[in-house]
Amino acid sequence: MAELKPEELTNIGEKAVKIATKKGAEEAEAFLSISSSISVGIERGQIVRSVKGMDRGLGVRALYKKAAGFSYTNILTDKTIQDAAVKAFHSAKASKPDKNWVSLPSPKKHSATKSTYDKRLPAIPPDELVETASVALNAAEGYDKRVFPVGGGVGTLLAARAIINSYGVEAYDKGTSIGCSIETIAREAGEVTPVCFEFNAERVYKIDPEWVGREAARQAIYSLKAKKIKSGNLPIIFTQPAFHALLYYTLINAVKADYVQRERSALKGKIGEKIASDLVTVHDNGLLEGGLQTWKFDGEGAPSQKTLLIEKGVLKHYLYDNYTAKKTGVESTGNAFRGDLAPYASTPVLEATNFTFSPRNKSPENLINEIDDGLIVYGVQGAHSSNPESGEFSVVATPAWKIEKGSVAYAVKGAMLAGTVFDVLKNISALGNNTRKIGHLVAPWIRVENVKIIGRR
Amino acid sequence: MKEDLVKAVDYGQKLGADYVEVRTQKLFKTLFTTKDGEVEAAKEGTENGAGIRVLAKGAWGFVTLGTLDPKLLKQAVEEAFKMAKAASFRVKTPVKLAETKAVEDRVVTKSRKDPREIPIKEKINVALAMDKAIFDYDNRVKSCTIDYLDLTGTNYFINSDGTYIEQDKLYVWSRILASAREADVFTSGREEIGSTAGFEVFDVETPEIVGTRIAKRVIDQLKAKAPKGGTFPAVIGTNVVGVFIHEAFGHLAEADLTLSGSILSDKLGKKIASEVVTTYDDGTVDGAFGSFKYDDEGVPTQKSLLVRNGKVVGLMHNRETAFKFNMQPTGNARAEDFRFEPIIRMRNTYLASGDHTFEELIEDIDFGYYLKSFRGGQANLDGTFQVGIQEAYEVVEGQLGSPVRNASISGNTLETLHKVDAVGRDFKLWPGRCGKVQTAFICDGGPHIRVREVIVGGGA
Repeated sequence: MAELKPEELTNIGEKAVKIATKKGAEEAEAFLSISSSISVGIERGQIVRSVKGMDRGLGVRALYKKAAGFSYTNILTDKTIQDAAVKAFHSAKASKPDKNWVSLPSPKKHSATKSTYDKRLPAIPPDELVETASVALNAAEGYDKRVFPVGGGVGTLLAARAIINSYGVEAYDKGTSIGCSIETIAREAGEVTPVCFEFNAERVYKIDPEWVGREAARQAIYSLKAKKIKSGNLPIIFTQPAFHALLYYTLINAVKADYVQRERSALKGKIGEKIASDLVTVHDNGLLEGGLQTWKFDGEGAPSQKTLLIEKGVLKHYLYDNYTAKKTGVESTGNAFRGDLAPYASTPVLEATNFTFSPRNKSPENLINEIDDGLIVYGVQGAHSSNPESGEFSVVATPAWKIEKGSVAYAVKGAMLAGTVFDVLKNISALGNNTRKIGHLVAPWIRVENVKIIGRR
Repeated sequence: MKEDLVKAVDYGQKLGADYVEVRTQKLFKTLFTTKDGEVEAAKEGTENGAGIRVLAKGAWGFVTLGTLDPKLLKQAVEEAFKMAKAASFRVKTPVKLAETKAVEDRVVTKSRKDPREIPIKEKINVALAMDKAIFDYDNRVKSCTIDYLDLTGTNYFINSDGTYIEQDKLYVWSRILASAREADVFTSGREEIGSTAGFEVFDVETPEIVGTRIAKRVIDQLKAKAPKGGTFPAVIGTNVVGVFIHEAFGHLAEADLTLSGSILSDKLGKKIASEVVTTYDDGTVDGAFGSFKYDDEGVPTQKSLLVRNGKVVGLMHNRETAFKFNMQPTGNARAEDFRFEPIIRMRNTYLASGDHTFEELIEDIDFGYYLKSFRGGQANLDGTFQVGIQEAYEVVEGQLGSPVRNASISGNTLETLHKVDAVGRDFKLWPGRCGKVQTAFICDGGPHIRVREVIVGGGA
């Protein structure tokens, strides 16, 4: 399929909006997205597959008497564009009015973004990706012969999106990314470690596959000879993947206006109140340079922005999309998100962009040295079973290591961590200087005091 | 359609591919979300596309694109062939496929209530009735989110081994989330409905029945206490047994993960569980959410015995792993849609029933827990599992006691399976979705069981 130019995308969108409004829709919006990706996959110590994907489509939202209809298609011809627009209007008519609906957004100026597109990435041929994957694989296998890389790979993505609505919103943006990952276990004398995962994802062609392979292997080797530990309350260092998992199902939901307005958030009514330790300052930064979730505009065409959420422990603001903002008469914070897989097929949902914790000055070594008796946790299992309303979690720390007298002592198995995310925020006692991007989180290592650990009786 | 697909496959063979497979799909979805009685948007979508897989020089090339255009399909076959060649550069052990019998078939869905024939208004009304039942139950209910999806359409499958299958798809799914609040106590509950039979699933899971079940759960949990952390005996309900068998055991028995060094990798033919444990992965259960006739490699589905009286006797295979193990493919290769390659997935996975009543299971427990309903679960290749529990009760001196909130259980799969000492005579399958990069519609379940001990976590 030939690549669509920016104006071709916006033209399709304009056409769809016109058809829907001509049919009788009071407001209409068209969102288009295209993507093309190439990846090579590592499986059980070798590269055995290579995948190329191309996807594109149009999603039309139509409003009629405060009721919304939506229709999408992944085939873009005059007829399917027409059908999608008409069906969106018919669906709106068949649906029920939403008494809280105000209107689609009006045009606003978008800020420029940095380091979100690299023209070299879409041009990388599969054999170069195979080479890059080999570097990661060799680094993992070369680290120790007990290492068995079970999965991983390298892939590039080129994505573009356009939005048009009947109030004159019209915008286009494109972006790239590249990711490299290794999942590995280590085996020795009948013992199998948990899967240790490491990755490096960037928006531009600057990744370190050698580090990915070596670091995944290092974690696996150091996971051997894991011991069970006693129950108790200890300080814990959370590395970014563990912290991301913990926050994604709890805090990141609790600051969404949707959760607040519907009494699903323990942070309702807490603006201006202290909800975290003094050390904690958090922004949702949709404009972060090179951020994994950085775009010029959100899924409704609202400008991306940097929103202060928590300042020195005090809750400052919630995240809004167009609907939740208009419901309470504030401005959207640019947090309307369309699905990851086929953005055109999804209506906007409220989501964080780059949920960014301001780093402090401690080096990772420093953080470890300062703990006399505690844990360092690289991953948590079962975070998605957290209570989304109360922020309560109960997860297995894996992989995780015991810290004794200022150094990492041994791997820990079967230890559960339990608590609420709000106690975690209050008990943050130190942040590192080693900021890293993962999913929706941008943060350094974080030390939390007094976490309840359930181990052996 | 068939003619175009035959041409594409022929072209791949002419290029020198060892195996060519073309899957095309015409899919239609209706979906919407309601939040506290308001409909977010009534949605529908059309997705047409192709997934082309080529095996050449011992490596796979896969291309997916949103088109059914014969010219583009042919190009995609060539592209996939090139991708395979690029990947083969580093292959040490070439991929080979187990032999299968060529099949020609047309599978037509017969639904009492075909979702295509039901206006979206009626579907919305069912969701809104459920929403109402939940809010009407108690004024401490604060929110209710209902997602609805139905997916219909046809898969066209052809491969270079002579198989051609046209297979209709029909799924009806809904997820209901509710929450309640009293002062500083927040509770939440979730439930899924899923069927391959049709919209008639809502005749059994009526808005009132499902609504009341969830509302009661979130309200009862308001006065629930936190569990004591530690190791306790437990009676595990059918819903939690399902997720435990699926997450903690099932994934380890997916042959690709077994090969990747899951703790089952050296256990084939060996005892891994107590005598009372027998488990199946079964794609043949009529109307169940994980059922289908042919998998996405064109292999007929089956009822696969995985564990018989504590001994591992089978794994779940695709053609590639079946060749490696020198076994028969089991029909477990599934792709979410044309955007994805088929990989080994579960279908309806369950523990077989025994002969105990519920009373017999709890009567000997001095202090323990009854774990009735789950919220999420996850396992690792080393056999560490975690299952979050949304509904639990204390068991005190053989009787059900107070409700317990936000518990979770964890442990090592094999240690825990050895500690199963009694299996109930009841049986229930629960629909759900499983994520392994792609999403698959599945069921899991079984009877109530008793476990001598399991680690119970939770409680802030």
